[in-house]
Amino acid sequence: MTLSEEQNELLLRHLNGQLGPDEEVKVADLLRGNAGARAFLRAVAEQAVVVADVERLDQHKPQPAKVVTAVFRPWKWAVAAAAAFVLMAAFVIATTPPRHAAKVSAILGPCQYIAADGKVRDEVKVGTVLRVGDTIRTRSSSAWVKLELNGGSLMTIAGRSRLRLLNVDGRRGFQLAYGNLWATVAQSAGARPVSIQTPTATVEATVAQFDVEAHSMTSIVRVNSGTANVVRLADGQAADVVADHQAVVSARRSRPFAVARQPEPVNEWSCRLIAGSGAVFGKWLPPDEKNSVRLGATPLLIGKKTTIFVANFSVQCSSSPPVLIESGSRVRIRGTTRTEGPVYFGITTQRIKGVFFGKYTAKVGAGALGQAGEPWQVEVPLSQFKPEAKHLPGSPAGMELADIWIVSPDENAELEIHSVKFLPREVGQ
Amino acid sequence: MSQRDRVSAAAWLVVRNAHTAEDIFQNVALKAMTKGTQFESGGALMSWAFITARREGIDWLRRQKNAPVCLDDTILELLEQEWANEAAAQGGIRGQALRDCLEDLPAKSRDLLKRRYFDEHACEAVAEQLSARLDAIYKRLSRLHQALKKCIETKLEQPAG
Repeated sequence: MTLSEEQNELLLRHLNGQLGPDEEVKVADLLRGNAGARAFLRAVAEQAVVVADVERLDQHKPQPAKVVTAVFRPWKWAVAAAAAFVLMAAFVIATTPPRHAAKVSAILGPCQYIAADGKVRDEVKVGTVLRVGDTIRTRSSSAWVKLELNGGSLMTIAGRSRLRLLNVDGRRGFQLAYGNLWATVAQSAGARPVSIQTPTATVEATVAQFDVEAHSMTSIVRVNSGTANVVRLADGQAADVVADHQAVVSARRSRPFAVARQPEPVNEWSCRLIAGSGAVFGKWLPPDEKNSVRLGATPLLIGKKTTIFVANFSVQCSSSPPVLIESGSRVRIRGTTRTEGPVYFGITTQRIKGVFFGKYTAKVGAGALGQAGEPWQVEVPLSQFKPEAKHLPGSPAGMELADIWIVSPDENAELEIHSVKFLPREVGQ
Repeated sequence: MSQRDRVSAAAWLVVRNAHTAEDIFQNVALKAMTKGTQFESGGALMSWAFITARREGIDWLRRQKNAPVCLDDTILELLEQEWANEAAAQGGIRGQALRDCLEDLPAKSRDLLKRRYFDEHACEAVAEQLSARLDAIYKRLSRLHQALKKCIETKLEQPAG
């Protein structure tokens, strides 16, 4: 709302303390109901303090020198020294950046919070604020946590992941000990770059959207927008990874460290179990008569008195191009279980060249697995996967596949996996 | 505007004295540094800073004789909220624009602003110093403030670089 000159002057008279009670009531009404009046008053206040500030600075500009006889006055020196010390201390305090924090803004599944002082909480709630030294763990394949950082940046960790807030000079530091992380680092006034340490790399970004998958021997960094600087810890080599590019960072110097363009997405994936690199959680079993490749599910304690048995397979770690999920996609798993009970298939999805999307799971009943102890092959269409959160759509079609996991709640099942495939929709479907 | 300018300006609206407003800002900054608690976001810090500055300003007013009438708390909150929203949207670029605009002002205009806001003279005293009518001083100040506001908006609309 525009303001008349009379109204402007009324506000100036108010600021000059010249108004009577009736006119003060008028001013109050004007300010309550008129955004333009408030804007003008704010402008006057801003201008008043900046005018004073500018004049103050002008008065401290160097003046023409005058020759004076130096007289030694110890008390003046003492006062000047004290003032200089106070100013220096104030400067140091003012320029010491505050330690960063991250707030849990969404959460699903079993998580654990380990405070910097060692206190452990097995229940983490939305709103929990993590500070430097604190750690958050997502404990099962279906779990995830979304964090809000200062300055509008966001992070999500998912699956079996562990993230700690670090004190890094001039950076918002994090340690991703293992697992998957999606980060959107937004540009914001005064916000420091984000620095993520993995077992093999340091990833730093000021403005970027990227994801990191960290394991003990390898980290994979994919940048979808902006730029991230990646340092290989094994030898200190560094590279800027720009949008649509990725870097694989090994703990071994003998492995090449190069930035490459992200390959175009495909619509199928066969996890290279023989090469072993796609299986990121599980234990290798010796070959038997029927199967040369056997990955046994590993126990995972996801809470008090709750253990599940999990095998997990990562698309990225298998050196596959990104895998696009279509409406008719299918998950085909071969394996064995020694008892008659259900197993669960799960998939982690993310937006194509983007952020974490969500988890979907499907229950496979004992009937579909056949006789206990005998190898089974189960094919589950995408339509049977159900979202693990209310906000998710019924189907993840159109998203990218990040990983597949298979879970048995029964230790005696001795779940083992022999083959993992993600198949495109059938021709004519 | 920088956060400092905004908090100082909010304090100025209470105390109507730029030097006191600067002192209040310094106190608020010191409290923020020694408080020991972390703020969850920049917005939370600003909100705390505005409230603290307002309280300090009101305390200062209570210690003064002939203190000006202070605006209602609800109005001050409304103004602070608008400042906080603007801080999130514009960062610190407004402050520099205002300083640039002040530099471009004619000497006479800048002198008027200096007398009123740096020397802290009431409008009546300024009118007397400049041998002008009080109404004329209000008019000149009103136009000057409007011109500076417009100048800032024009500078902010210009593409950077």
